[in-house]
Amino acid sequence: MGPAVHTTVDRTIVAPSPPVKGRRSRGDSWPYVFILPMVVCLGLVFAYPLITVIRNSFYSTSMGETTFSGLENYRSLFQDPVFMTSLFNSLKLLAVVPVVTVVAMTIALMLYEGTKGWRAYRLMVFVPYIIPATAIGISFSYLLQQNGILNITLRGLSLDFLALDWIGNSNIVLFSIGGVLVWTQLGFGVVVFTASLLSLPRELSEAAAIDGATRWQTNRLVVLPQVRGTVEFFLVLQAIQVIAWTFPYVYVLTHGGPGNASSVMDLYVWRYAFQYSSPGLSSAAAVVLLLISGVLIAIYTRLRAKQGER
Amino acid sequence: MQVNHIWRSKRRLAFASAAAVFVLILGACSGSSDQGSQASGDPYTGSLTYWFWGESDVPGSTAWMQAAVSRYEGLHPGIHIELVPQATQTLQGAFQTAAQAKTGPDIAMQWATLPVLTPVWRGQVAPLTGLIPESELSQWLNTQENTYQDKVWAMPLYLLGVPFVWNKELFEKAGLDSTHGPQTWDEFLADCAKLKAAGITPITVGDKEGAFGSWFQSVVGTQTLDSIEELQAVYAGKADFSDPKYSGYLTRLAELKDKGYLSSDVASVEATQAWQNFAQGKGAMTWATDGNVAAWVKQGLGSKFGVGKTPLVGTGKLAQYYDATQSISAFITSWSAEKAQAAAFLTWLHTPENLTSWYTTTGAFPADKRFDPSVVKDPVMAQLYKLDTLPNQLWAENYAPPQVDDQGLRTVAQALLAGSTSASDATSQIAGIIKAWQTQQPDDFKTYAKWAEG
Repeated sequence: MGPAVHTTVDRTIVAPSPPVKGRRSRGDSWPYVFILPMVVCLGLVFAYPLITVIRNSFYSTSMGETTFSGLENYRSLFQDPVFMTSLFNSLKLLAVVPVVTVVAMTIALMLYEGTKGWRAYRLMVFVPYIIPATAIGISFSYLLQQNGILNITLRGLSLDFLALDWIGNSNIVLFSIGGVLVWTQLGFGVVVFTASLLSLPRELSEAAAIDGATRWQTNRLVVLPQVRGTVEFFLVLQAIQVIAWTFPYVYVLTHGGPGNASSVMDLYVWRYAFQYSSPGLSSAAAVVLLLISGVLIAIYTRLRAKQGER
Repeated sequence: MQVNHIWRSKRRLAFASAAAVFVLILGACSGSSDQGSQASGDPYTGSLTYWFWGESDVPGSTAWMQAAVSRYEGLHPGIHIELVPQATQTLQGAFQTAAQAKTGPDIAMQWATLPVLTPVWRGQVAPLTGLIPESELSQWLNTQENTYQDKVWAMPLYLLGVPFVWNKELFEKAGLDSTHGPQTWDEFLADCAKLKAAGITPITVGDKEGAFGSWFQSVVGTQTLDSIEELQAVYAGKADFSDPKYSGYLTRLAELKDKGYLSSDVASVEATQAWQNFAQGKGAMTWATDGNVAAWVKQGLGSKFGVGKTPLVGTGKLAQYYDATQSISAFITSWSAEKAQAAAFLTWLHTPENLTSWYTTTGAFPADKRFDPSVVKDPVMAQLYKLDTLPNQLWAENYAPPQVDDQGLRTVAQALLAGSTSASDATSQIAGIIKAWQTQQPDDFKTYAKWAEG
């Protein structure tokens, strides 16, 4: 046992002020003061418009006068064939979501396996996602016209039977819009899934390979279950995107035509708000859109909660 | 102690910053009720906001108006005019939003007759009668389109006809007489058949935005009527749209579609693109605007085309009318604090120098008797001017309630041209849309019915 060690405390260090009751409460309120401007902004930008839209959905405007009309707007909505067409078209476009998910995951798995130049391929696939929707709409409107570049090419290859009126035919216009949506959203899916796959530990895949699993079995039974959370997140995000963010594509590509055949919910909201000056009806349609999106968000939250429990 | 001092200073600074941001946000939210300078008796002092639309009708009109504003400000340094171009799709909606808030333009524009009179009925427009002398108003053309209760409510800027245009070279190629277009509907169909047999697209039109259905009603559909009051009676609920007298034009439109006389991409191209295709010789006939023809004349293509009235279809008195309209009209908003200033500017736009400048720049004919027609040198344009200044003019679309026009006349006809509905179904749908408008907009409907009675 060695000799005792004595240390000398440097008494010049300033001790913290003893806590005083008044000073403590003033100090606790400062964080709220600092976040107050942001809360006010969020309130003005998010909460106020939301409350206003919900409120407006119970009012009707006629000859410039606004009066309370209860559920009349909602009743008119569900009796309006154009609204029902728009609603069903938006729901039909949800079929794009599994297509984008499957194709994006397939491409991501191919890139994950270390294909040479995979970063360049990932970039090429991602480019459509960052092009403005208006530019995409204008480009595809020329591409998909009856005598557009696509049909000219098809006719040149003696594939006349495939040269359809992609945006002028009521029966196939929605498929065309779906195709454009798949093309634009694919890149985002590839990037998200690739990032998720790259974060996985390689050991499990290698162990499966050593045990004799084929590539398909490894992907299906080892890799995909680990990225399930990402897939669920992507599915819900894409569903919300399709339900509530197709307006720029539809507006530029088809204006909702021909004859409302490609009208979607957000286009309907815009039309009644800005073209027909019917804020009550458009607010009611916006509330319906909000409820549908809310259901999707609720599903996602539930899935995440279940995953948390696991 | 030094640390405490620094901490207190930083706290004060943070508090002051947060408070400043909060005040700024409150200030932005309260908005400004200042609409420019206070109303002044001097018509040449003040600030005006002019919501302008015209480019789709008359290419080059926005640039001309911007230059005109600059000239006016140069002449009257005390006045400032902000020109705000408007988009077609939101022209009516944006104005209604401004009208509800009673802010925005001092001068606004809407398409003639019903799109102008609807805001008039809602008290959103100040009459020009009273602000502008009668001696000036009497020089303007087509003011009857915006006259209500013996007052003129909006100013015409230009006249726009929708001539029937044919490609002389393609007519000759098909063995047709290129000096004049088909005069009757039977001749028209016969010419279409010959053109198609010669491998030429008979009619080039674009309906992606859905305007052609309304146009076809205006140029063909009204030819079975004796007066516009007959069509007004349909919208006022006193006549049935299903009567072939009113809806027969849909059958003719379907006939053109079914026989393959319309361009194959009619449902997927916009009107402007279809006119470009026509100018490039990809179709033999079309309906265009004076502005399009003026642009083709400028490109040196004038001699290639013939212009005239739409082939005769019906035997009603309106079959003898031409279809020139002022198209868009400028009016002063009821909430404007600068009405005298706005009226002075609108009057100045009709000075002889401006009338000539407008024509030479844009090729569209000014809606004013004082316009000197000797400046119209091109024979095709001279022919159009003669048509536009015939005594009897009518553009029926002006009389359709906007909701009926957009959802019915345009959208349903669009479905017909896309092949997804028949003429009889289209008739039923439009009749239903008229009834829906009457139910959904009862106040507008009552006022329309009262107006239609005269």
